Amino acid sequence: MKDAEKDAERVVRRWLTYALESMVAHEQELGLLDAAAGDGDHGATMVRGLRAAHAAAKAANGSAGDLLVVAGAAFADAGGGASGALLGALITTVGRGLGDGPYDLTTTTTALQAGLATITRLGKAHPGDKTLIDALQPFVDALTAQPADQPLIVAWRAALPAAVAGVAATQTMVAKRGRAAKLGERSQGHPDPGAVSLTYLLQAMSAVWDENYPS
Amino acid sequence: MTKLYNDPADFRAELIEGFVAAYSRLVKRVPNASGVMAVDAPQPGKVALVIGGGSGHYPAFCGYVGPGLATAAVMGNIFSAPSAEQVYRVTQAVTGEAGVLYCYGNYSGDVLNFDMAELRCQDEGIDARTVCVTDDVASAPRGQEDERRGIAGDFFVFKIAGASAARGERLDEVERLARKANQRTRSFGVAFAGCTLPGQTAPLFTVAPGKMELGLGVHGEPGVQSSHMRPAREVADLLLATLLSDAPAGGGASVAVLLNGLGSTHYEELFVLYKDIHRRLLAEGLQPTQPIVAEMVTSLDMAGCSLTLCWLDDELTPLLNAPCASAAYTNA
Repeated sequence: MKDAEKDAERVVRRWLTYALESMVAHEQELGLLDAAAGDGDHGATMVRGLRAAHAAAKAANGSAGDLLVVAGAAFADAGGGASGALLGALITTVGRGLGDGPYDLTTTTTALQAGLATITRLGKAHPGDKTLIDALQPFVDALTAQPADQPLIVAWRAALPAAVAGVAATQTMVAKRGRAAKLGERSQGHPDPGAVSLTYLLQAMSAVWDENYPS
Repeated sequence: MTKLYNDPADFRAELIEGFVAAYSRLVKRVPNASGVMAVDAPQPGKVALVIGGGSGHYPAFCGYVGPGLATAAVMGNIFSAPSAEQVYRVTQAVTGEAGVLYCYGNYSGDVLNFDMAELRCQDEGIDARTVCVTDDVASAPRGQEDERRGIAGDFFVFKIAGASAARGERLDEVERLARKANQRTRSFGVAFAGCTLPGQTAPLFTVAPGKMELGLGVHGEPGVQSSHMRPAREVADLLLATLLSDAPAGGGASVAVLLNGLGSTHYEELFVLYKDIHRRLLAEGLQPTQPIVAEMVTSLDMAGCSLTLCWLDDELTPLLNAPCASAAYTNA
């Protein structure tokens, strides 16, 4: 195995560790956001799912893409609910897209676009419906807009603010999908917990790179 | 508040183990899956009725498993849909050549995961169909009945589908009858206090003192409208008037009735309420058939109740009255 591939595999394992730590740290916050118009279990679901994803990847061998496929399946099974199914499918689809590499901006963007398409199809949500799509879509768009010769790390950092802005925009949206949708206007005034947790996942990837390649 | 638990993360696994230990005369554990199945399952020549959803709603869903009712229940974590993988494993354990009908309350998490399992089964040549229960009139207006969520009306749809499957009817017929039962079932509820999840100290939502929330969700989703607390007879009027104004087309004079407690509303209070509901039904010219006053779909320790009516006909009545045995409901 080439060094770059080994490196990618290490980044994925590290990402799962960081993502889990981040979700544990934010479990209460995500739960409160979800309780505003849902059932308050989003933090618990994310922690449960990532714990299983982390353990599954730890027990597995293979490329960075293979590890993500395994982690996504474990996330979906342990997470349960809509969040488990959608994020699990996202992680698995990105893993399939990346495969054995190379792991550069072009392949990562393509894999994320495929992931976005999968969860849009499964969840039947559109931008503006107050879901994780409202963070993921702007992030993928921002990543796609980066110069193709840009290193992945640089492009990822440059695209992150788009996800954060996407989360902020969900604050004023009225939920159109999920249980929150049944509450109409009452869902307004809080950001969507799914968009928030997705952004933590994207930031966790950045944190892995910050550790290895400080900007 | 939920007081009896060990590690909150083990709540689901421990409740399944205890439930199976207590009711081994009716159910058994599905090996390597988060679910239970009837003692007489699998029966390859009969349609399997697989129900399920999040935990925290006992006796929904494992309490409805047994001969003549549901074949198996897939159990998610508290208020969280079971994963597609678990639905698939439970289906594998109980389904034969007659196929499987999935039946569950209409929530996006359940739909996503059951649909993914259904596709996987169909890819493997298993005839799998779905009927989502959509009885809660508070969750979407008339004309958008398909978007409504499923609450206590689950029970009548499961009962009718389970009886049809037990008679040995084909999947087309079991599915048709389940759909018909759902189209004729309506529920509406009120909440007096929110529920608290295991490990949490604060309730998911609160109801102001002296108030009640109309149109509650069984996951503690706040109601759609607030009202001041009223005497039982006025609550009875309110529940009934809401359902009657939403009565399905073609409904006859005979109705199955379920007055459901949500977790911490006393049975005695429910009977006080039912007295007026029963009288008013008769006054409206409706005949209550096998009324049930009990906790059938709870929301942990939530205070409140819901009223469900299922408008019967000559086809549905025998199915409702057919014998069954389960932890929550037995008809000899």
